[in-house]
Amino acid sequence: MEEPIYITGSGIISAIGNNKEEVLQSLLQEKSGVAEMRYLQSEHTELPVGEVKYSDQEMRDLLNLPADKPANRTSLMGTLALKETIAEAGLTEEELKSLTFISGTTVGGMDYTERCFLQMPEDDEALKVLATHDCGSTSLLQAEYFGMDTSKVMTTSTACSSAANAMIVGSNLIKTGQADIVIAGGSEAITKFHLNGFNTLMILDHEQCRPFDETRKGLNLGEGAAYVVLESAASVRRRGVKPLAVLLGYGNACDAFHQTASSPDGEGAYLAMEDALKMSGVSADSIQYVNAHGTGTPNNDSSESAALRRVFGDAMPLVSSTKSYTGHTTSASGTVEAVICMLALQHQFAPANLGWKNQMSDGITPTVGNPSCQLDYIMCNSFGFGGNDSSLIIGKYDESQLQLSDEMMQKRQLRKVYVRAISKHEPGTPITNLSDFIKPMEARRMCALLKSALVSSMTALREAGIECPDGIFVGTKFGMLSNSEKFLVQMCGEGEHTLSPTFFMQSTHNTIAGMLALRTKCHGYNITFTQGKKSLDCVLKDAAMQIALGKLDNALVGSHDESTQMFHDLLLKLTGEEAPVGESSVAMVLTADPTDALYEYELGK
Amino acid sequence: MEELILKLKQEIIEVLNLEDITPEDIDNDAPLFGEDGLGLDSIDALELIVLIEKNYGIKLKDPAEGKEIFKSINVMADYIAKNKTK
Repeated sequence: MEEPIYITGSGIISAIGNNKEEVLQSLLQEKSGVAEMRYLQSEHTELPVGEVKYSDQEMRDLLNLPADKPANRTSLMGTLALKETIAEAGLTEEELKSLTFISGTTVGGMDYTERCFLQMPEDDEALKVLATHDCGSTSLLQAEYFGMDTSKVMTTSTACSSAANAMIVGSNLIKTGQADIVIAGGSEAITKFHLNGFNTLMILDHEQCRPFDETRKGLNLGEGAAYVVLESAASVRRRGVKPLAVLLGYGNACDAFHQTASSPDGEGAYLAMEDALKMSGVSADSIQYVNAHGTGTPNNDSSESAALRRVFGDAMPLVSSTKSYTGHTTSASGTVEAVICMLALQHQFAPANLGWKNQMSDGITPTVGNPSCQLDYIMCNSFGFGGNDSSLIIGKYDESQLQLSDEMMQKRQLRKVYVRAISKHEPGTPITNLSDFIKPMEARRMCALLKSALVSSMTALREAGIECPDGIFVGTKFGMLSNSEKFLVQMCGEGEHTLSPTFFMQSTHNTIAGMLALRTKCHGYNITFTQGKKSLDCVLKDAAMQIALGKLDNALVGSHDESTQMFHDLLLKLTGEEAPVGESSVAMVLTADPTDALYEYELGK
Repeated sequence: MEELILKLKQEIIEVLNLEDITPEDIDNDAPLFGEDGLGLDSIDALELIVLIEKNYGIKLKDPAEGKEIFKSINVMADYIAKNKTK
């Protein structure tokens, strides 16, 4: 059991409301926000979506953003949700300057990029969009608005579990004494890019989604943003604030089964839930409500049902998926749903699983709503591509918890961390020994970046004498650039039909970490950060924290990026910066054991 | 039919990046999926759904339909011959 982390503020924007109060009312009145497409300019108007009910310009006006200030839909929604969060926590200007901001997004500025992608080489105005395209700079736009220290911004990019992982990283920063106050969460706008991507995977329902229903056909895409303020006990006392709730436990595990599908027995989900319960000290039979990942795809709901049965047996708590209200808000869903759980806790009700009618043959039975029930402990699940599965346990705050926190903080001894092996791949050099690590049939879909990431990582692990690492940490500036570019070329050039599912499923930033977990059969902690040039710093810090806390004994850490000719030319024109065409990979193995160490990694320096 | 089968094999090899495989290596009756045949997986199935829409104008609504249609080259060619719109 570990000490709780205190949640002292929260904010949300989603298809069912532009703030907490509106979201609460929609939940209580069972009003879904999934509707006909209104803001997204896509050919696929037949697909229902959960859009935030503001245009970009309306959000700009609400935030008083000057016309020349860059922003994208993800940053605009994120900034609005942050505003509510900061106000509720009562954070001062000084506190804003010194806190850490961790935001989850995978889409970043793709909404503007896809609108002017083909014009970028010729049109300087279009090219400017590239400066705020990447996920890291989208988080920076939000941090700058509030005068936060941009050197303390981190962006997690683990697809649909990004925001939950932001909360996990933030909590570990507090437990290792590296932060007192962290704002964590996520923001994600709907784009044509991922709407079409999910469409190529044939997992979008053409009607209102029906999570856990026998007749479910897929998910409805949603968008939104939500953040929470996480604090240490010392900070809660110093500021004299009363926490809204506590984060009692969290688990992050990897399914290590498939890039886009969950395993039939839900191994990753099961491990994440078990880890979260163990940390919280709450027994499974004390959990009264589970906010399920419940996307409404045949695969997720059946796999999650299997995992829930493994955790709860026949004593299943109330379970619902609120994606039937908001649509699937992808990278934001972790905190969108955590904030919904906090509302449920505060007002003692279980949100309904809208649209459910038919019992799944192999599934759990969700609740159709419970307007009044005793809730003390809630579980909130978020699972993503790459098998990135995370689970959170949220509970009520009581004052005695502060004492426990003090004792645990005093007792805690952080372990030293060592770098045992490093392996590099430079752009332009051939990858010669791929067949040492993977069969040609298995490598046929891998782009060059995945190959350089695999070879450098496996080489580092071999040098360190480790077969399966305890955790996998990947940093990347721009992610899977070549596949994203190919998908954009198809979509912007040929239209929104017959696009390649392979390009899309290997376009998410966490493809690398997911692939490494598959190859090493690593079910442990798995994360991807994307924070420009600081991406490697973020992963080293996160890996070192977990080793220092004793959660892992070793970690595979890496930073992997690629550049195409087109990207090279665009970036050079925009910034004067050279991004050599090809792949660059650095893989490292960190350990708690000093044997054969190259040097010590000092956490916090 | 022979012509369609050869063309189909070449298209499959290209779209699925089966670099070391030639059309002659693919048995017309062997299963395309699973360990006993070519060893394709669920993502390949999605690529094949795109392929038959793009090249033959056949649109599948449910990925489960692919299971029957993509059993073997012979079954696939037969289905395409009967249903193609271009």
